[in-house]
Amino acid sequence: MKAQLQLALRVLARRKFFTFISLFGISFTLVVLMLVTAIVDHVFATHPPETRLERTLGVYRMELIGKDFRRRSGPNWSFLDQQIRTLPGVERVSIFRVQHGVDAYHQGRKMKLYIKRTDGEFWKILDFRFVEGAPYTSADHDAGRFVAVINESTRERFFGDAPALGRSITIDGQTFRVVGVVEDVPITRVIPFGDVWAPITTAKSQAYRFEQYTDDFMALVMAKSPADFPRLKAEVQRRTSLTPVGGPDDFERRNTALETPFEALASQLPSGELGERLGIAPPLLLGGMLALMAILFMILPAMNLVNLNLSRILERASEVGVRKAYGASKRQLVMQFVVENVVLTLIGAAIGLALSVAALHLINTSGAIPYADFGVNLRIFGWGVLMAIVFGVVSGVFPAWRIARLHPVLALKGESR
Amino acid sequence: MIQLENVEKVYRTDRIETVALEDVNLHVERGQFVSIMGPSGCGKSTLLNVIGLLDAPSGGTLTLAGEEIANYSDRKLASFRNAKLGFIFQSFHLVPDLTVADNVEIPLLYRRVSGSERRRMALEAIDRVGLSSRARHFPGQLSGGQQQRVAIARAIVGRPEILLADEPTGNLDSQMGDEVMNILESLNEESTTIVMVTHDARLAERTDRTVRLFDGRRVD
Repeated sequence: MKAQLQLALRVLARRKFFTFISLFGISFTLVVLMLVTAIVDHVFATHPPETRLERTLGVYRMELIGKDFRRRSGPNWSFLDQQIRTLPGVERVSIFRVQHGVDAYHQGRKMKLYIKRTDGEFWKILDFRFVEGAPYTSADHDAGRFVAVINESTRERFFGDAPALGRSITIDGQTFRVVGVVEDVPITRVIPFGDVWAPITTAKSQAYRFEQYTDDFMALVMAKSPADFPRLKAEVQRRTSLTPVGGPDDFERRNTALETPFEALASQLPSGELGERLGIAPPLLLGGMLALMAILFMILPAMNLVNLNLSRILERASEVGVRKAYGASKRQLVMQFVVENVVLTLIGAAIGLALSVAALHLINTSGAIPYADFGVNLRIFGWGVLMAIVFGVVSGVFPAWRIARLHPVLALKGESR
Repeated sequence: MIQLENVEKVYRTDRIETVALEDVNLHVERGQFVSIMGPSGCGKSTLLNVIGLLDAPSGGTLTLAGEEIANYSDRKLASFRNAKLGFIFQSFHLVPDLTVADNVEIPLLYRRVSGSERRRMALEAIDRVGLSSRARHFPGQLSGGQQQRVAIARAIVGRPEILLADEPTGNLDSQMGDEVMNILESLNEESTTIVMVTHDARLAERTDRTVRLFDGRRVD
């Protein structure tokens, strides 16, 4: 085996172009796989502050459906307050508003900040890491107190290295007293993300209380157990259907749901309407489409690798003839080419891992995605490498088996079939 | 050492039957240097391939080093070739991706020999053909004569009893050819049995005896 490994490395070092093309294909595929899974993992998997995802669902969207059109937006506050906050048998319900970009000024410097308005329950469902102070409470919210939680980056922008607790910040013309500072949350965690969090009741206008159709609110529902999900989902459906649409006659019905973020995404993408038409649940359809894309994405380079290997191995017919003449068995020849392929794959995987780490580090530090802290998902990477090795073995075995069966005299003449 | 009795080799396709060897009898003693001559297509290389167990005869019996080769499995044939036979080809058949030393090690890869012992034996064989300074070179960096000497080193590294050479000087000029022939003669002096196919009567004269073939039959 040691001799075969050495031989494989020498052959790969000598055949630079082939080696480069193969390594490029393997490592590029793994890098893309790593980047995509890192992003998907970041958006949908359990990470602080969303540590209770297994018991949490949300109301993220509201559709008003007419004869010939749909209006898609977020739910309005009154619907959530009357129909969701009152759901029976749940542990907690939080209502919050999608973050808004606002301007803030500090020492003559303009800053763009995202402010998210929430109730007090928000902090009990989400598990923020506080580095100073504590969250505002439901009592603060109900009393309309101008208190705020800020993230570490905002603290640094306002106060440098100094503590922020008890100090004031002015944002969009409103002044808040800082009651807590939390670790930065990346924008890919859509639900908890923000630079500043303040009570909904501190909004400049209270008009949201009277909005009847759609708005930019959302709700989080923390169940006592995941087993309650079907009951809660059915109850939300029932309550939605009973809630009058009101307003102009153009709207026939409301459509909303208690769902996971992935289910909400699936419903809002084309998979939503297509799924409805085909009678397939949109998350299942979206999941299937993503899986199909992933498989196609992996199959194309794999087939390319098989093709490259086939031509590479077949052009070595003369070498196979010599080895056969000198006593190589079919098994030994197949083993030789498979080892070459597996070595190539493992080198490609190592390069892929290094490039993935570098690319994610670049994304994290570039500032393109606020507070991004993407990491390599080693489990996915392990699967990717395993698949690459399987491809390496499979793509090596067939051409190697084919050439190992060659008659030695024909092989010595360089004939590959 | 080599005994062929009534050996035939017929190539058959759907429509055509080509007789390459017909009723060939040949006896080569241990330590003999035999040349095979004849016009192109007369069956010289086929005969060498049959003796070298690269091609199975269609009829007759073949005995090598005291063993009658009949109904041997592929694995047993491979093992026999590895232990008893060495091959030298007209076009060298060196592996271009491997160094001279790695090429010479090839026969030893299929034996139970440690890496260090393999390298020692390869360097010894390379030294035997006068190419010690080229052990780390690649075949493409050598002249034709040097490449053939590497091929000879590869053929003798496993210390085979029989050396089969198919026009070993066919791709070389006369000076290089002489050098290769000198090496073969010295190997023969050390009691290696050699069967060599050649077109060159001058080289054939330097062997112990010459077997002549015409249309697949012996005519000497």
